Formats: sequence, C-alpha cells, structure tokens
Amino acid sequence: MNRGLNRFAILVACATFFLIIAGALVTSHDAGLATPDWPLSNGQVFPKMVGNLFWEHGHRMVATTVGMLTIVLLIYILVKEKRSWVRKLGVFALLAVIAQGLLGGLTVKLMLPLAVSSAHATLAQLFFCTTVSLAVFTSRSWIEARTLEEEKGSLPLRYLCTAALVTIFVQLILGATLRHSATWDQRLPVELVVTHILGAVAVTMALGSTGLTVLRRHKDEKFLTRPATIALSLLVVQLFLGVAAYLTRLRSPGDPQPLNPMVGITVAHVACGALVFVSTIVLTLRTYRVLPAPHEHSILAARPQES
Amino acid sequence: MNKQTKVWLVLSIALSLLAISSSCGGNKTEGPAPNTNGGAATAAKWTGGTGSISGVVSFNGTPPAPKKIDTAADPVCGQKNPNLMTDDTMVKDGKLANVFVYIKEGTVEGGKKLADYSWDTPTTEVQLDQNGCHYAPHVLGVMVNQKLKITNSDATQHNIHPTPKLNQEWNQTQPNGAPPIEKAFNRAEILIPVKCNQHPWMKAYIGVMKTPLFAVSSDTGAYEIKGVPPGKYTVIAWREGQTPEEKPMEVTVTANGSAKADFSFGAAATSSIKPSLQMMPAIEFPMLGKH
Repeated sequence: MNRGLNRFAILVACATFFLIIAGALVTSHDAGLATPDWPLSNGQVFPKMVGNLFWEHGHRMVATTVGMLTIVLLIYILVKEKRSWVRKLGVFALLAVIAQGLLGGLTVKLMLPLAVSSAHATLAQLFFCTTVSLAVFTSRSWIEARTLEEEKGSLPLRYLCTAALVTIFVQLILGATLRHSATWDQRLPVELVVTHILGAVAVTMALGSTGLTVLRRHKDEKFLTRPATIALSLLVVQLFLGVAAYLTRLRSPGDPQPLNPMVGITVAHVACGALVFVSTIVLTLRTYRVLPAPHEHSILAARPQES
Repeated sequence: MNKQTKVWLVLSIALSLLAISSSCGGNKTEGPAPNTNGGAATAAKWTGGTGSISGVVSFNGTPPAPKKIDTAADPVCGQKNPNLMTDDTMVKDGKLANVFVYIKEGTVEGGKKLADYSWDTPTTEVQLDQNGCHYAPHVLGVMVNQKLKITNSDATQHNIHPTPKLNQEWNQTQPNGAPPIEKAFNRAEILIPVKCNQHPWMKAYIGVMKTPLFAVSSDTGAYEIKGVPPGKYTVIAWREGQTPEEKPMEVTVTANGSAKADFSFGAAATSSIKPSLQMMPAIEFPMLGKH
C-alpha cells in the first residue's frame, strides 16, 4: 500500500467532484454556448471571463486540470501499483477523461444536442465513479480488510448493492436528460419530470432497503456501516434537494435570468446525486471485498458440518 | 432517315435542350435567390393598386411589472445601463409594443391566393443592435433572404444565437469593436428566438416572412402594414411569451384603402382562437374609388 498514491487518488476524486459542480453551474446558467469555439474560448486560451463565459471557460479550466491530474495519477499508478487490474483501471480513467473532454467539445460544436449533452453529464458520473474507485482500491482499509465468513440473511448483499447502484445510475441518466431537455427559461417536459420522480421512488426503495439491510446485518462492521450510513443520509438530503430544485425550477421561466436560488439548489441536487452514487459504489465495492460470493458463502456455511 | 429515326432524333434534341436549360436554371438558383422569396419560381407579382392595414395593439388589465436585471456578471452592462429591466411586456398607457402583426394567408382580389404571389427581397438590410446589453429592436421582421446586419454597440462581447426550428441554427461571438455580422434566413419562420448565451436576459425575436406584409407595434401600440393587395386576409398579431400568443382577425383590404384591425392582449383580452363579434367593428371597409 502506498499512502502517497492513495492521497493523490483522493485528490483526483475531489477535483472530479468539483468538476461536476462546475459542469452543473454551466448547465444551470445556460452557459454551454457562451463561446461557440472548442477547445479555445472565442479563439483564446485565456479570454476575458465576463458574463456566462466565466462559467463555461471556468469549467474548461477545471476540466483541463482534472485531465492533467488523471495523467499524473496514471503515471503514479504505473510506477507504484503492482495489481494489474488497478493499473488497468488507471488506464480506463485516462481514456474516460479524454472521451469526456471530446464529448464536451462535441456538444458545444453541435450546439448542445440533448443526446450528447446527456451523455456528457452521464460520463461525468462514471468518471467520478472511477476516480473514487481508485481511491478505494489504493486505501489501507481496502488492502487490510478481512473477509467475513458469513453473510447473514438469505438475500446476498452483493445483489442488493448492485441493484441499488444500477437504479441510481439509471436515475442519474434520467436527471441528466431532464436537466438538458430545457433551459432555465423553458418549462421542463412533464413526462421526464414524472419519470425522474418515479426514479426517485425506485432509488429510495432500492438504496433504503440496501442500507438498512447493511445496518441490520453488519452493525458492528464499520467498513460496511459507514458508507451505508453516509449513503442513506445523503439520500434523505437528496430527496429534499430534489423537491426544492423542482420548486425553484418551476418559477425560473418567469425570471429575467437564472437566479441564484434556482442555480444553487439545482447544482446542489446534481452534486448530492453524485455523492449518493459514489457512496453506494464504495458500499458495493466493500461488500464485494469482505462478503463472500453467494456460492462461496454456501461452501463456508457447509464447512462446520463437514468438520 | 425513316420516320421512327426522325421521331427519336427530335426527342433526343428536345431532351438535350431541356437538360441544358434545366442545368442553366440550376446555376441561377445557387445561393440566395433575390426574387424567389422562398416561394415558387413561377409566382406572379402584384402590380395593381394596394391598400394598408393599420391598428393599435392594447393591453387589458394590469401588465406585469418589468423585472430588474442583475448585471453583476458583466460590469460593462451595469455601467452603460444601470437600470436594465426586462422588456417582454412593454405597455404604455394601455398600449402594447413589440407585437408582430402579419398577414398569414388570404385571397387576393381576382381569386388567387396570397401564396401565389411573390415579392422582391429588399436590398436594404435590417439592423439588430446590441446596446446596453439589450437587443434593439426587441422584435423585428425580415423577408426570406433579406440581409440582417447585427452590430455591437457595447464595450463588451456578445454572443448572438438564434434558435430557429426551420432555419439553420447558428451561434457567433461578436467582441466589442468587431465588424457587423451579416446573416440571412432562407425559410419563412414565425418567429425565431434570439438569445445571447453570455447575457441570458438578452432576447429578441425575428419574424422571417415570404412577403413584406408585416409590421411591429410601436411604443404607442400602433402598427401599419403597407402595400397590401386588395383582398380578404387573415391577419395575426403575435406576442412573445412562455407560450407565444396569437390573435387572428379577418380583414378586407381594398385598393388604396386603409383597413383597421385593433388587437388586444392581457387578462381581459378576447379569445385568441377566432375574432369575436366585438373585434369585428374595429375593421373598416374603405370606400372603393376613394382615391
């Protein structure tokens, strides 16, 4: 275990989170086309950052920084990391951040088509998931974790966590599509709003049941209860933010410009959604780390009888 | 040369001539065609006398108060225009400005449809200026392929971004001091929203028409459509909004006559689907031979 590598991976994950916030600010301010150019902004590397160009060019600067950090992270991993699958994940992270940059450029050049903008927002979450996973895999707690011998309960937690994760990811795609389907001065499409609300119900059920199951079955295992508690707490915050974001967004078409309450709350909703996603990823990864696979579990369960 | 060969020869020559003439015609239609106005090449031009349609657009009830715009993101806007307000509902003494009034369709005297006629594209350009972080005029009309000249009178950069449904969308930055941008729209469209992605409050609307039969209500709510061939028409008054409002009215125009068509919007305005009986008296039928 290399403490420096882990700290650097955490730094990249934090920078990615900041990048997601910067991207959400661009969408909420309707600043995506503040410059028609890409990768330069109005033909310049450092344009005068006034008006909405502040948000768009600022996002590009943060993205460039994250891209650089990812390159350094990959080099760090290739030098210090022995596990081939972690090295491969580092390569994947670099490819993902390159693809993300290209998608960002493409959506500007094509003038924000819904499919490309939504794909850009979705890949952002996947890239965040990757950097957080790298931080998890290089951590001391991951390397030193011991395998629990028993999975209490009939329904394996691995399955529950995976189901919750997939549900959250689908909800993130729906959220990204909803956000990019209408600018601040347009009404949100009702069918997408309803689908996103139904998605929130599904996430609440999936993550709620998973988190509570973890807390019930493994209450003494902080390795599992900590991410479960964080995910559940963030879920509650996220639901409130979702309601608040909807209410402020309902009013925004009548506003003269994107106002701070709407911008702040919708960006917080996006950021909190990303945190719910990654905390569930941490929970899922840790579940896979310490809990035996269902077939192993049955072997382990059978051992005492054999002896 | 037998008869069959002669027939084939004549047909071949005829087809060749047809091909040559069509290819020459193809060259002529490249780029903006000044006389087609996006309509049929064979459309006739009205050469007889014309009349006009004029009226006043009113706003019933209390208009929504203009909202103050926060220009903190670009100090230049605040310096030039310290009290920048929204301009989506401009009402003065109950009269509504920035309503786009146009002839949608109708029958011209003699029985032909209005769509059967064409008008020359004006050689004059229509100007859209960015002044005080505000588009001026807020609502304007151009003819298909007519030049639109966009200028920037501000000491900051703007970003002109029309979002049409039928025409080509484009997005172009115009720094302060940059030369005017000249554009044209090649399809008729009611109305194209224009925004500035750098200053999200900046909005304008452009009506692109096949005919010059349109006008925009002034600060006094008055408008006048000139050069209207005599006939019976459906006139539409269009007003911006979350869902743009359209008020139709049937109007009869006579040669050298002046028909009246007043419109009203707002909470107490009459239905926008069909002209009501109350609206009909606003239409005057000018006397024939008045000139």
